[in-house]
Amino acid sequence: MADLRTEEFVVNMGPQHPSTHGVCRLVLTMDGEKVVKIEPVIGYLHRAIEKVCENRTYMQCIPILDRFEYVTSMSCNYVFSLATERIAEMEVPERAEYLRVIMLELNRIASHLLFYGVTAMDIGALTPFLYGLRERELIIDLFEMTCGQRLTYNYIRIGGVSRDIPKEFEPKCREAIKIISEKMADYEGLLNENPIWLKRTKGVAVLPKELAIAYGVSGPVLRASGVQYDLRKNDPYCIYDRFDFDIPVGQNGDCFDRYMLRLNEIRESIKIITQALDGLPEGDIKNKKSRMTYKAPAGETYTRIENSRGEMGIYLISDGGKKPLRVKAKGASFNHIQVLPHFGTNMFIADLVANFATLDVIMPEVDR
Amino acid sequence: MIWPIATLELAPLFSWLRGLLVDLGLSEVWVTSISYLALGAIIFGVLALLALFLVWWERKIAAHIQQRFGPMRHGWHGWYQTLMDALKLLQKEDVVIESRDKVVFFWAPVLCFMAAFLAYVVMPWGENLIVADLNIGILYIMAITTFTVISLVMAGWGSNNKYALLGGMRSAAQVVSYEIPMVVSVLTIIVFVGSLSMVDIVKAQSGLMFNWFIFKVPFGPIAFITYIIAATAEANRTPFDIPEAEQELVAGYNVEYSGMKFAMFFLAEFINLFTVSAVATTLFLGGWNGWEFIPSWGWFLIKTLGVVLLLMLFRWTYPRLRVDQLMEFAWKFLIPLTFANLILGGIIKYLGWHW
Amino acid sequence: MTRQELASYIVEKYGDLMKPLESGKYDPLFVVEVDKLVDIAQKLKDDENLKFDYFCNLCGVDTNENFEAVYNVASITKNLRLDFKVILPYDKAEVESLQSVWPAIGWYEREMWELYGINVKNHGNLTRFLLPDDWDQGFPMRKNWDAPDFKRMPEK
Repeated sequence: MADLRTEEFVVNMGPQHPSTHGVCRLVLTMDGEKVVKIEPVIGYLHRAIEKVCENRTYMQCIPILDRFEYVTSMSCNYVFSLATERIAEMEVPERAEYLRVIMLELNRIASHLLFYGVTAMDIGALTPFLYGLRERELIIDLFEMTCGQRLTYNYIRIGGVSRDIPKEFEPKCREAIKIISEKMADYEGLLNENPIWLKRTKGVAVLPKELAIAYGVSGPVLRASGVQYDLRKNDPYCIYDRFDFDIPVGQNGDCFDRYMLRLNEIRESIKIITQALDGLPEGDIKNKKSRMTYKAPAGETYTRIENSRGEMGIYLISDGGKKPLRVKAKGASFNHIQVLPHFGTNMFIADLVANFATLDVIMPEVDR
Repeated sequence: MIWPIATLELAPLFSWLRGLLVDLGLSEVWVTSISYLALGAIIFGVLALLALFLVWWERKIAAHIQQRFGPMRHGWHGWYQTLMDALKLLQKEDVVIESRDKVVFFWAPVLCFMAAFLAYVVMPWGENLIVADLNIGILYIMAITTFTVISLVMAGWGSNNKYALLGGMRSAAQVVSYEIPMVVSVLTIIVFVGSLSMVDIVKAQSGLMFNWFIFKVPFGPIAFITYIIAATAEANRTPFDIPEAEQELVAGYNVEYSGMKFAMFFLAEFINLFTVSAVATTLFLGGWNGWEFIPSWGWFLIKTLGVVLLLMLFRWTYPRLRVDQLMEFAWKFLIPLTFANLILGGIIKYLGWHW
Repeated sequence: MTRQELASYIVEKYGDLMKPLESGKYDPLFVVEVDKLVDIAQKLKDDENLKFDYFCNLCGVDTNENFEAVYNVASITKNLRLDFKVILPYDKAEVESLQSVWPAIGWYEREMWELYGINVKNHGNLTRFLLPDDWDQGFPMRKNWDAPDFKRMPEK
């Protein structure tokens, strides 16, 4: 048979595409169904958050930074507050620290539940999406009860939190995490042993350890590749060193490990929340110095925390004025998209979708 | 002049129609043609309603699996929601792209729609409720349902869109692969009946449950399962819905279609779903046979909707296979299994070891 | 190694290349000379006791007097964190690319070039990605940049 003349062609995946999770555009060079080359194009969601922050007071920066990574905006609140507190060497009341841990971990669970649903949907199972969102709703209700917001919370402030939790928060929170830990069996039962799911995720899109470290990959994606590196343990902030929890680590760095690791992290977060609720002390929720017109002394620091997607950092420079001199926000997804062309090629487009979903990229964090 | 068999069951209606037409002074040819047209209109109406019902049913099933309500606003549990959706799609502006292949783009949904309906020429809805009992009935159905894939490839090509083209190519590859296990599963039954006529097939399993071919024929359950798997792929449903995998190809072959053209694809998909289920009922589940207290067409509908329900449960439970895994499953597992099944069945038939 | 030990170790071993800065508040912060940047980065990565193999963040800064480029690095094996910066005058804003040391820095350097106009030598792919492709209004993160419709908070 004479050789067939074949030709590579270019497909524009995004900016509007159901599985690029926002407005990411991947320019794919394809050989039939196989992806030969990926070229990520970002910037469709650039809102100049860093520039805006330079023209706001410190307290005004917090609601702007909510939009930096809106799925876990508690982390955004927290990382900026922590950076300011480190520059000012400000004390935070005990109760506020506990409340922060509860909120951060609840938000991590909410984010991972969203991940569970969205990933399953990207691989074609439509039902888990609703299951994930159903339990996420419980957590969102808790946040709404606490700070009145469902997505951009503006709750964790410099020197504490904005308000105390209502009385019914604690029983409701315990009930919610009880329901979630019961439902975990449902989530895993639906997918973990499903042969189609295993075929679609096991051994797919393996991210080697060395590549992950070289490209600054962080969070669950890094740990799925077998690197035990969690900032809650390795660079402790807040009061995480007081709680007893494990860091799940994967072995293969494939899509299944990344998925499984996040489910295991939900369990660990539940442990932390239970301990924090048990140990929640009475007392102030805010440092007395924390006011709307708060001014930090001169100084600069890079602060990083472990949010549900990986390392979230703020480089904050204060010159002692009303406004920060520079706020640089670093999101883990920025690195995750950067590394994608280096290990995401030479696979089917369906695998690319699974890979992209398990990286759990969120675009506002990339474009800022 | 051959009268449709279905007119026997619908005798009062058709004798009235015939009397009316003869009174109008029309010749015999005209009377017959108009009767056929009327029958076609009835089948079209029933199927259109059925497709609308299936869309609603699927939405309700999906919703209840996902712990939602689904459509609730229009009527009792939103029963005429899909009717409203269809009306909306009818009125919508037909957005077309400039760079399309005009002829191919236009005819693809029409062909798809047509092919979906043509299968019902030989579908035995009930005792004496069939338009034409062709002696090649099941072969005709296999041929005409495969026709759908041509329209999907046409849609993919005519849209001049890379996603659509990929979807069209995928559907061609998929249908070509899964047609073989489907036909071979059907052949396992045909070997025992010795006829391709749909009526003969149903009559061969007259009686109650254990006369149905799923239980009667040796390896009948295996043939049924392989048929259902291949049928799921034929109807482009999860876990085999790769031609329109919305997370990968946005919507696959119908990405550029809107308005009524999209609705034609959409309804044809549900009619195809009903077709493959109806064939499964006819071949394996005894067709219209059942206990006396429900009319024969009632049994046919109940069984078919049961199979449809099964396919719907698949859709809302499983993830989607990848395109190479799909091919692998067909060629490395399903085709050898069905052929082994056919050969064993043939040997048993030849030796006469069955009852 | 604690933060103090890390700071004193670096002062002891690389004191001639890296000068500690008081303004760094939590993790040690050093200032390095721009022409020794690649050299130092490589040394920090290769040093047996430091092994800064993980790149966190690169941040361009306009301090109203000059530009700075701040590199935040970490070590996974030794569990350390370090910041170092280079000070760049306005008229000679140019750094060497560190992609050979930390590949992750590529996009951060692109971003710094795009938003601050700090040139990155030997980068290889300095193209716009956050701003529109046809952007022609200068470098928006510079302090003296003014968009026509941009309202600054009035100074009291």
